[in-house]
Parts: sequence; structure tokens; C-alpha cells
Amino acid sequence: MAFLALQLLIKRAFLAVPILLCVSALVFLILRLLPADPIAMSLPPGATQADYDMMRIAFGLDRSLPEQYLIWLAKLLHGDFGGSIFFRRPVMELISKALPATLELVSFGFMLGVLIGISGGLGMFITRGRWGEQVLDSSTTIMMAIPEFLWAILLILFLGVLLPVFPFIGRLAPDLTLPASITGFLLVDSALSLRLDLLISVLAHMMLPALALAIGIAPLLMRVLRSSLLETIHEDYVTQARLRGISENRIVIRHAFPNAALPTLSLIGVQGGFMFGGTVLVEMIFAYPGLGNLMIDAVRNHDLPVIQAVALIYCVLVLGINAVVDVIYLAVNPRLRLKGRPA
Amino acid sequence: MIRRSPRSAAAWQRCLSSPRVMAGAAIILILIIVAIAAPWLSPHDPQDQDLLSVLLPPFWMADADPRYPLGTDTLGRCILSRLVYGTRIALYVAGLAASGAMIIGTVLAILAGYFGGKIDWLISRAVDIWMAFPPVVLALILLVGLGAGVNKVILAIVLIDWTRFCRVIRSEVLVTMTLDYIPAARLLGFSHQQIMLKEILPAVTPLIITMLSIEMGIAVIVEAIMSFVGMSVESNVPAWGVMIADARTTMHQAPWSVVFPIGAIFMTVLAFNLLGDGLRRALDGRLVQRNG
Repeated sequence: MAFLALQLLIKRAFLAVPILLCVSALVFLILRLLPADPIAMSLPPGATQADYDMMRIAFGLDRSLPEQYLIWLAKLLHGDFGGSIFFRRPVMELISKALPATLELVSFGFMLGVLIGISGGLGMFITRGRWGEQVLDSSTTIMMAIPEFLWAILLILFLGVLLPVFPFIGRLAPDLTLPASITGFLLVDSALSLRLDLLISVLAHMMLPALALAIGIAPLLMRVLRSSLLETIHEDYVTQARLRGISENRIVIRHAFPNAALPTLSLIGVQGGFMFGGTVLVEMIFAYPGLGNLMIDAVRNHDLPVIQAVALIYCVLVLGINAVVDVIYLAVNPRLRLKGRPA
Repeated sequence: MIRRSPRSAAAWQRCLSSPRVMAGAAIILILIIVAIAAPWLSPHDPQDQDLLSVLLPPFWMADADPRYPLGTDTLGRCILSRLVYGTRIALYVAGLAASGAMIIGTVLAILAGYFGGKIDWLISRAVDIWMAFPPVVLALILLVGLGAGVNKVILAIVLIDWTRFCRVIRSEVLVTMTLDYIPAARLLGFSHQQIMLKEILPAVTPLIITMLSIEMGIAVIVEAIMSFVGMSVESNVPAWGVMIADARTTMHQAPWSVVFPIGAIFMTVLAFNLLGDGLRRALDGRLVQRNG
């Protein structure tokens, strides 16, 4: 089993290399279509032509396109993303600060989304044919018709402004100071340094953006889980369990759910990939200093090195999630293991 | 060659008797009428500023002004009028972007599914590469490269979302290819083009229509996102995303003004989703069989 999983991961990594190469070339090419001149935009008003030329050479923009791409790629392989034109700092430094913030937010949002999705799906199944299902079904329709970034604004409006329950700016209350960064993950850092006040503040700040992301994935999970549960109730093992006098709730949890979970699980993976896309707008709206916010800042200022790097990181994250989901799928689906031929 | 076979007549019947289809279609019809009749429906010019009456509340609040039924924004512009005109941009983008994505995606899907081999490999790999991006990220990159503007947003949506159609329709084409009437058509001496247009395309059309409806909802959302971050229309053009971005800055003083454009997007996307979902249930042969 562990061997199969490892084999699958290695296979996925090999497949990811050409995709990432194409992706990087694509990003690079698209961005060179840019009509505006990022160097001219970033120079102070009194700059001379000589300053301009110096900057162009410094950022390597005087070379030919293929040359620029190869240089960028070669540096990339050494972990060097170049320098940001707008922030005037190494891109690597910006990303190493933003990435943990995004990962932390996505993990939290993901857990919330799966929690809402699974309990909602179970709820819809248990209340099937009664008004409870109707209510939950309509709520999925509503959740699906409003995109994450609008949920973000609605959540700020209702739980931040009208009913000030949660903070909605940044990662931390401004009067709290950070401990020396250990991992960059504030939840882990504050737990490690035993600062309960920090931990609570970080969690409170993550609540609304994570909820906005969670609402983005929950409704589809609810629906798919409900319909796979509905398919299981006609199976023999459920009838068997009923005949043995097992309670209905126990049948759902112990018998129907494990068998119905597979389609939901593969959907969870796909949705996990989508969630990274959702972070772009949600982080911007909550002024949450993660990758998405960095991306928006970079886009607004035509900061090409940052855009390229962040786009690539997003692709790595999506491909990574897909690979992890495949491995989990392999772990829980014995049929795939028996065949020994992971899909 | 629109021939009313008994099957398609039955499909029509199922669509017309589906509450989802009818509700979705009704809302979309209303939106189209609103978009066309915008100059007559809106009490003010959407650009007109009335700096003496900024941030007025909607009609049900105490100090509302009857001239502005839904109140005004920070520049004293009529929210109702802007909302009404915003319908035009939303439907314009939804129609063009979704159709463009549908055409490219369907053509490539049929080519890939029909010819298989190298063509299929090439198209499928392109889809893989595209799908490695979160769509929003790819859209932002494209708009940086192409420059901002509502037509650029349409182009970006077409360039990104053809993959949604391509992936799903390709597998449907593969299923169709296993059916007996494809070899039968070959034996009758149909050309490749004839088989693709007259045999395969009609077989996947129900799926295409369903996806088109869903894609229109997605296009409305993408346009709203892009005008929200200032990559779509000019900032004075009344698009729902622009209105949300404006209203967000005054959420503490005027919380209601952000609700209206969100409500408009919600209704539009809901309508397209209902229509798509209803059509899927009514047109999907397998679902129909299962439900009797």
C-alpha cells in the first residue's frame, strides 16, 4: 500500500514537470503581451533615460524573449524568483511570507467546508422527504448562486459591520505583537509559544474568510453525498442491517456513509483545487496578507516577476492537491489497490 | 435539419413542465427585458451625480428620498438606475463569453473525440495545462497581458472556459462513438464532416445547452470579479462589480447599497443555474430513464 502510494506520487511528480514547464512558458508569454511598461511605471517622476536603461538592464528586460525566459527558468531552478519591481524586494521573500498565510487559511476553510458539506449531506439524507431536506436543498441552491467573494462581502456586512462578532481585516489584531516567526503559520506559532490571546485572535481573523471559502465548496459536497447515500439505501447490506434491528442512525453512519463517501471524496479533491482560486479575491477583501492579496497587488502594479512566481506557485498547489487526492483515493478504495493499477 | 422526432417533442414537453426550467427562463426573460428597456425603466441617468444627496437610504427607511427608490451611492448616483444598466453588461458578457467558450470547446471536443490518436492527445494535454491554473489566476494573468476592458474580459473567459466544455463534451463524444449508428453512417459513405455535424453534434447538443446555461452564470460572476478589481469596464460604467467595489468602501455608513448589486448577481446566476439544472434533468436520457 505504502509502496503503491509512493509509486503514484512519483508518477504524478514526473507528469507534473512537463505541465509546469508549459505553464511557466505560457505565463511568461502572456505577460510579455503587456502593453504597459512596468519599469516606466515604477520609476519616480524625476527619473532620467539613463535610470530607465539601468533598470531595464537590471531586470534583464533588454534581452530577447527566449533568453529572458531561459534565464528566468534557470534562476527558478535555483529557488530564485528574481526581484519584485514594485515592492523592491526579492520575490522569494514575499512568497515565503504569503504562502504560509494562504495555506493556513485554505486548510481552515477546507476543514470548515468539509464539515459543513458532510453534516449538511447527512442532514439532507436523514430528513429526506420531510421539510428539513427542502430547507437544506434550497440553501445549497442559494449558496451555489453566490460566489465566494460575494459571500466574503456579505459575511463582513452581517457578522462584521451590522453585528460586530468577528474582525475582518488582516491576520491579527493590530495591538498584538507577533512572536518571532517559527514556522510562519500563525496558528502553529502562537500555539508553540503558548500565547492563548494570539491564538484566539488569529482564529477569529480567519473565521470569516475561511467561512466564505467553505461556503464555496460545501453545497456541492452536500448534494453529492446526499445522492450517493440515496443510492446505498437500496443495497443489500442496508436491508441486512435493518433486518438485524440496527438503528437507522447507526445504519447511516456505520454502513451507508463509508460506502457513499467515495464520490464525495473525489469531489473534495477537485473542490480543494478550486479553493485556491477562491483565495485570490477573498484574501483581497479581508486584507489578508496571503498569496491572493500579493497577486492582486502585483497585477495592479504590473509587477511581472511577482505575477509569474505567484501564478506558478498556484499551479504547483493545484497539481499537488490533485496528487494527494489520488493517493487518499487509493488508500480508501480497496478496489483500486487490488487491481494494483492506480487510475 | 430540425426534424421534430417524437423524442425531441417529448424532451420539449419535459422542459416546459419543469418548474426549474420555467423559473430560470422567466427570470432571464425579465432580465433581458430590463436590459433592453433600461433607458425607460431607470429614473435617472446612471452616471448623473447629485452631490447634494449622497448615500441616501432605500425607500423603506425613514429619511429616504422618493426620487431615488433604492437610494444613492457616494457620488449621489441613483442605485436603481445603475442596477438596471448593469444588467446590460452582465447579459452582454454572459451571452458572448459563454457562446465563445462553447463554440471553441465543442469544436475541439468533437475533433478530439472523433479522430482520437494524436489530435486527442494534443487537445487533452492542452486541457490539462489549462486546468492546472485556478481560473481566476489565469484570468488575471490574461487581463494583465491583454489590458483591461470588458471585451478583454469576454476574450479571457472564452480563452479559459473552453476547457470546461471540451473536457465534458469529449467524454460524451467518446460514448457516442461506441453507438451503432456511427459505423452505420460510415458504411453509408458519410464524410467525416457529415458524421461530426449530423450524427455526433445532435447527440451531444442537450449537454451543450445545459453547459451553456451554467457557463453564462459563471461568466456573470467572472465579469463581476473583474470589474470589482478594476480590470473590466471603466470605473464610471455601471457594472454590478463596480457598484459592489464602490459600496464596499461605505459599508459602515450605508450597508444596504452593497446588498442590491449582490442581489442582482445572485438572481442572475440563480436563474442560469436553475435553467441549466432543469435542462439537465429534462434532457439527460439516462436520468429520464431512471426517473421513468
